[in-house]
Amino acid sequence: MNIVIRKCLLAAVLTVLAAFLTTGCATEHRFIKKTAFKDTNQIVIEFAGPVDEAWAKNPSHYSVYEKPDPDIKLKIQTITLSPDRKTVTLTFADPLNQNQPHVLTATGITSEGKSLGTAILSVKKVYLGYLFSILIGAMIINNFVFTKYLGLCVFFGTSQKKSTAVGMGITFTIVIVVSAMMAWFLYQFVLRPYRLNFLQIVVFIGLVSLSVQAVDTILRKVNPMLFKAFGVYLVLVIANCIIIAVPLILADNEYNALESLMLALGAGLGFLIALFLMSSVRERLELARVPPTYRGLPIAFVVAGLFALAFLGFSGMSIF
Amino acid sequence: MKQIIRITVGLTISCLIAALVMGSVFVITDKAKRHNEHVNVQQTMLGLLGYSTSHPAPPELKLYSIYRYIFTDGNVNTLGYVLPVLKGGGVGYQLMEMDLDGGFVAQYPLDLAPEDASESAERSAALRKAIKPPKTFSYADATIVAKLGEKRLAYLLPGEFPGFKTFIHVMLALDPSFEILGLEITEQEEDPGLGAEIKQDYFKNQFKGKSFKKIKELHVVKEPLPEEYKAYLESQKGKESPIPKAELDVIRSRYQDKDIYALTGATISSKAVTDGVKNMVAKFAYRINRLDKVISARNIPAVF
Amino acid sequence: MPATTKTNFQLVSNGILNENPIFRLALSMCPAVGISTTVMNGLMLGIAVLFVQVFSSCTIAAIKNYIHPRIRIPTYTLTIATWVTVIDLVLAAYVPAAYKEMGIFVKLIVAFAIITMRLETFACKNTVSASFWDGIGMGFGFMFGMVALGFVRELLGMGTLLGYDVLGFRPLLFFVLPAAGFFCVGIMMALFNYVEIVYNRKKRAR
Repeated sequence: MNIVIRKCLLAAVLTVLAAFLTTGCATEHRFIKKTAFKDTNQIVIEFAGPVDEAWAKNPSHYSVYEKPDPDIKLKIQTITLSPDRKTVTLTFADPLNQNQPHVLTATGITSEGKSLGTAILSVKKVYLGYLFSILIGAMIINNFVFTKYLGLCVFFGTSQKKSTAVGMGITFTIVIVVSAMMAWFLYQFVLRPYRLNFLQIVVFIGLVSLSVQAVDTILRKVNPMLFKAFGVYLVLVIANCIIIAVPLILADNEYNALESLMLALGAGLGFLIALFLMSSVRERLELARVPPTYRGLPIAFVVAGLFALAFLGFSGMSIF
Repeated sequence: MKQIIRITVGLTISCLIAALVMGSVFVITDKAKRHNEHVNVQQTMLGLLGYSTSHPAPPELKLYSIYRYIFTDGNVNTLGYVLPVLKGGGVGYQLMEMDLDGGFVAQYPLDLAPEDASESAERSAALRKAIKPPKTFSYADATIVAKLGEKRLAYLLPGEFPGFKTFIHVMLALDPSFEILGLEITEQEEDPGLGAEIKQDYFKNQFKGKSFKKIKELHVVKEPLPEEYKAYLESQKGKESPIPKAELDVIRSRYQDKDIYALTGATISSKAVTDGVKNMVAKFAYRINRLDKVISARNIPAVF
Repeated sequence: MPATTKTNFQLVSNGILNENPIFRLALSMCPAVGISTTVMNGLMLGIAVLFVQVFSSCTIAAIKNYIHPRIRIPTYTLTIATWVTVIDLVLAAYVPAAYKEMGIFVKLIVAFAIITMRLETFACKNTVSASFWDGIGMGFGFMFGMVALGFVRELLGMGTLLGYDVLGFRPLLFFVLPAAGFFCVGIMMALFNYVEIVYNRKKRAR
């Protein structure tokens, strides 16, 4: 029974992934297979069949604009057609702002003499890439501990041994994903429509307490062994700045469900990484000869400072 | 059982009291917040035009706001402009619809009082009366035209674009030939000491005086700011500067057509601001020319 | 812990020196590292925390007899959250520029362990006036810590104080980065430790 459930779950996940991968590139016209950005100033259109060269090479058949500025048409400099006449590459005079979705209208597509109508397509970066960049962003580039300096009290409290650190990290990731999803749900369907934004703080912290309680109860019943290992950290999770910061950030940026999930996951995993790194160092510090005034927290802060400097190297990185 | 009821009742009462306190504070501060925002924006705009408390604006100076919307009907997009026009001896508002190629489509009267025009909720309500579904509208941007008497003094463009961290909000002042009169950074959340330096004079004032031709090819160079240029930029505040005026003019003409010097440790923020300003100016120049053509062709009694 | 017998002055000085929230109790360190880049920021956040601490302490001390022991923590959380929302709205309305610089930290005051802890250990067992002075002590202790850090970081990092150019040049831009926040707090804590060690040594010698 378990195996069947697991297989179904895997199939579901794969279907969702496939759906995203294809919708990122799928278009609304049956003849056009795919559109994508290329380099800094090109758009590539792939057709399902060969197109007429006369039609393809005429710039007046294409109109491209950035979605929020429909009245400003971008100037096409050159058009190249691939030898099999299935791919058209439009090169523009100025570099394209690839962070904005572009709308491409191809009028009167003719293939082998037949007219196939007009296609209005949306060209944008792959959505999965965007989601992945949020994940990596929250995990490493904008690591919540070292770059945003949140969650420090709990961080310094539980990073003395590797086992406590990993336990805390995992518990925290679970709670933050649960509470972030609930927070997103409440924000979208209750706070925003009724303009109750000022109740954000109260509602979110209530949610956090609720999710901690929920995870506590569920863990107790479902897996008592796990509960014995991680249960004690659950209480500490509430006093963590990150757990409030994540719902506040996703409310501010108006992320949708999938993006919020990525943010929460990234925050949790980033916290886990930070804890793991810190505990590895602190275990070795125990054996070093630290001056009495620095023993305990002061030296831990200095080490954290060095980590923060190292993580500074990631700033400004952007994938996808 | 009684315990649980007591607990629940106690919690509910506390929640209600808390909600009451927060709600009343919200209502009180919301009004103050909007008023303060409005005053801030006014001061920024007057500052960009060169007026301050020691040099107040003359009464002939009038600021008129134009709001641009995008109308969508199925697959067809059109532009809508909320224009201030002469109406019954005073200033009223009118909606003009334009197609994407600059051709006039339609004109609608708007039931919008001048004092309400700056509130987006009021504008949306007035637009909904004029535009019927299935046509929907979405706000695009605003332009403020400053007129001194009968001639246009400047255009003030509020705008926002992504910076290094989150968005950067700016207010740009252009003269009628689209030369930059000044740039103010109104909101930013960049790193203090690094990206946040974009609000310092020695960065902002580099944009001042750049001609329209130069703006279209404006780049960022990663070279240190020359000392004399920095002294010139910081003397622009109107205070007495130790450098004589003749020398200031020499320095200005030397650096007039140079690119923007990036901030130390904040190349991405500098590039973001430069690209943002470039885009804003290019798009605005294109749009205002089209708008002026339609207004003069249809003889719309616009006040700007 | 029974009701306190300290005088009001002792309560306040306790908050600033003996039980300074940042350096001795090692709580609420997040803003100490993140926001103390300038004195102005530290001051604003310190005022916000002072406000929340004082009002929450007084509220809890006033209603301590009506709180059911099993819903202690939710009640504390609710009170703190209410006052944080109030100060958040007020700051956003009246000092928007400074408020924007503090970013998300004003809203995060609700998660500060120091305030909950103070309510738990002090306010629910003492009178309103004693809680008031204790709140003031803790708030000022926090503000003192933030301003001290901000002073060092702003002076060494940007050469200015409260926006006014003092040094005329920038010694070490490094101090404005978050990494330096960690270093500064660590060194300050070491300083407090040193003072304590010397004080204890002197006390034992007497």
